[in-house]
Amino acid sequence: MDIVVVTEGKDLCSRVVQMMENVIHQGHGSLVLVFLIGIIFGGIIQYTRVDKFEKIAGFAMLKDTIVPKMLFLTVGLTSIGLYFMIEAGWAHYHIKPIIWQGLIIGGILFGISMAILGKCPGTGPVSIAEGRIDVLVGAIGGLFGGLVFTLYYDDFFKPLMGESLGKLTLLDFFKGHENLVVLIFGIVVTAVAILIPKVELFDEADLSKLPDEARPDKK
Amino acid sequence: MTNRLPWWMGGILLSGLLLLTFSIYGADRPIGASTYVPYFAGVIFDLDPDKYIYLKEVKNAGSWEGVMLFGSLVGGFVTSVFITKSFRISIMPTAWKKYKNKSVISRLIWSFIAGFIMIIGARLAGGCTSGHFMSGMSQLAISSMIFGTVVIISLLITGRYFYDTKKDK
Repeated sequence: MDIVVVTEGKDLCSRVVQMMENVIHQGHGSLVLVFLIGIIFGGIIQYTRVDKFEKIAGFAMLKDTIVPKMLFLTVGLTSIGLYFMIEAGWAHYHIKPIIWQGLIIGGILFGISMAILGKCPGTGPVSIAEGRIDVLVGAIGGLFGGLVFTLYYDDFFKPLMGESLGKLTLLDFFKGHENLVVLIFGIVVTAVAILIPKVELFDEADLSKLPDEARPDKK
Repeated sequence: MTNRLPWWMGGILLSGLLLLTFSIYGADRPIGASTYVPYFAGVIFDLDPDKYIYLKEVKNAGSWEGVMLFGSLVGGFVTSVFITKSFRISIMPTAWKKYKNKSVISRLIWSFIAGFIMIIGARLAGGCTSGHFMSGMSQLAISSMIFGTVVIISLLITGRYFYDTKKDK
């Protein structure tokens, strides 16, 4: 049964409702589930405090390694779990194409801006939700970035990205040994996460609100 | 109840969430967090979706991530108020004051510029920390490994030269 909501309006509200309708009709989970995934995502990011400026900018200065440790651990565990889920038919690969120029130019720009803003597009909204005005200004900058990208996509950005060389994975280089490759990859990446030395840069302004025994810097 | 989760707990939980999202019983797609920005730009500036090819390309992914973003705002807000107790209105990160400068204007201008080029960069590469680094590398995608390597190098070089890292006490 299709749920049909009248969303023909042109104002901002109906454009937001159309967004929800797009989600309902594209078959990637129900609206409630997608919203719930967002809530859990925001909760994890906030609870581990990786939305803090001190975490990503701190990593850029090599004064904090929580973000790479957590990211590599996530990748290591997920790679193994996901492979078995795909083998069992419970999931599919969704690979992004190799577009050399786009990946390299985009990666350089992304790295520079991540070091300066101290957030990425996933952690930024979470830190806006805890009241960071500077990140809100960054998000407005991002909206204009998205606007410029959309307006000049055909004329400038698409040619800049270059040709796609297809959607390769590491497994394509080791035909016949997929199980082993995934296992080694997962274990190596997890080991990297554990072996990266743990250094932390704390923010006094946050910690001063906690009772002494709860402060991670006083343990 | 602790006010902070350790990194390994965060990694395990994120991995669980990622697997749920990937599974056919979940959303059957990866987690991404940068496609919603051009989508929102289209919504807010009222761009005609028939006129701009890019808006058509990001229609599904952008709206999916848009709804997820609303969720993460709620999740982040509730957690910051009730669990981490870190909710407060602030403009200046402590470490910026220490390693860069004490000017609010400087922080805001740099934030705006960084936000602007961050989205251009993410859209050129076709993903961000979530879509490429986390979801992409978990699928052993070569494109995501290239992106991840370039980002880490660029991040570390910028951190080294943009901040005055020797200002420790």
